[in-house]
Amino acid sequence: MISPIKIWRRQKEIRKILNKKGKIVVWTKIYTPGSDFKKYAPYPVVLVELENKEKIYGQLVDYEDSDLKTGKKVVSVLRKVRSSSEEGVIAYGVKFKPL
Amino acid sequence: MNHLIGYHTTQFGELWDKSLFDLVEETISGVLKQTKLTNKQIDAVFFGNMLAGVLENNLHSTSKIAEILKVNIPIFRAEAACASGGAAFNLAKTYLEANSNKNVLVVGAEKMTDYSPEQTITALSAAASGEEQEAGLTFPGLYALMANFYLEKYHYTEENLAYVSVKNHFHGSLNSKAHFRRQITVKDVLSSPYVAFPLKVLDSSPISDGASAVILTNNRDLIKKQKNSVTVLASEVVTDTISLKERKQIDEILATKNVADIAFKNAKITRHDIDVAEVHDCFSIAEILAMEDLGFWKKGTGGQKIKEMSTMYGNGGSLIVNTSGGLKAAGHPVGATGIKQIGEIFLQLTGQAEKRQVRNAKYGLSHNVGGSGGTAVVTILAV
Repeated sequence: MISPIKIWRRQKEIRKILNKKGKIVVWTKIYTPGSDFKKYAPYPVVLVELENKEKIYGQLVDYEDSDLKTGKKVVSVLRKVRSSSEEGVIAYGVKFKPL
Repeated sequence: MNHLIGYHTTQFGELWDKSLFDLVEETISGVLKQTKLTNKQIDAVFFGNMLAGVLENNLHSTSKIAEILKVNIPIFRAEAACASGGAAFNLAKTYLEANSNKNVLVVGAEKMTDYSPEQTITALSAAASGEEQEAGLTFPGLYALMANFYLEKYHYTEENLAYVSVKNHFHGSLNSKAHFRRQITVKDVLSSPYVAFPLKVLDSSPISDGASAVILTNNRDLIKKQKNSVTVLASEVVTDTISLKERKQIDEILATKNVADIAFKNAKITRHDIDVAEVHDCFSIAEILAMEDLGFWKKGTGGQKIKEMSTMYGNGGSLIVNTSGGLKAAGHPVGATGIKQIGEIFLQLTGQAEKRQVRNAKYGLSHNVGGSGGTAVVTILAV
């Protein structure tokens, strides 16, 4: 379950990994998601290796299908990642944009 | 030495008229009847289950089993995602090593079809890391990452993966307890819709209900009295990072590699001795990686080897894989899977595998994986 406190705790980590450049290591496109992500499907998820070698997962946004390839350069951005209910706290997190 | 003296499984499938504990009760009574044991002869129970707490708000299942079995003995639940059954079996074996002349019941069960696919997918995601969940990575999504990486690295296509499902559906057609008993073609697999690119519906194991049970004992007098008995040569568990991204290789399950090495060493046999194996094919790619990581096939050759179909029943191969239909066709009630795999090997080694009986099977291996490879269990049995 998502609680506002968990979202607050996670935010402190997210700011450290924003606006970082990296390359796609591997990607997939999800067609059958869990409940919280149903309205975004189908959506691509990429595993990115940042310039400092750290690896981060995120959805790819503002993309063309031709961007879905190994080695594609991307940058991390802050986006809404999920909202559990109409009135629930909105969780923001990291997604990636093609460069 | 620990012996496996009985196995029972319920039908696997969408069993809308049965609850989790209806299934547990059915399989317990089945295995007791088969071994001619009474509830009073059971000294401990180990229960493999993953989702009852998340989906049904239903914990303390151990006490519910005490109520069903009408006993007051030690009962424990093991949870290791899809390896919950294998983990329960390992704990039972370890319990016997510490206690002589005991009979232990191991039950695995899962009830998954009472909920919408989205709800069940979300519940299964509880076994992935927080970051994986936040990125919207489902379990098919994690295995899709492994598949995409593997196909690109070794220049295979989605067709190479499809042969796993074709083989396992053929085996499922020979198993009356399987969820799916329909044979499929490579074309059927390739034309099924995507779940998570490059994996499709027919690359994926289904959401199933089911329960399976085995009885393990180190009571020599009892072993002598039993008609069917196999020896547990090894049962080992290895863990690894919960996050796929923290592992050195995306297209390898290191826990499987390591646990297989330990199990073969302890069993004092080699890979060539194995006649039948049940490997964890939650997705088509998973069987190919399992065959490589268990050491049956060289790394990177699995995509080609599976096309030869030497592991299919009736093709004369020296190792037949997933005669139950695997997770793909027999179904995947997650807590039950690890027990059903061990049970299938028991049936093969004791000549009870009916239409899919592999001739003269002496050694069998079962391989059960939790999450994207955070837990791996290997069990080796001999007759």
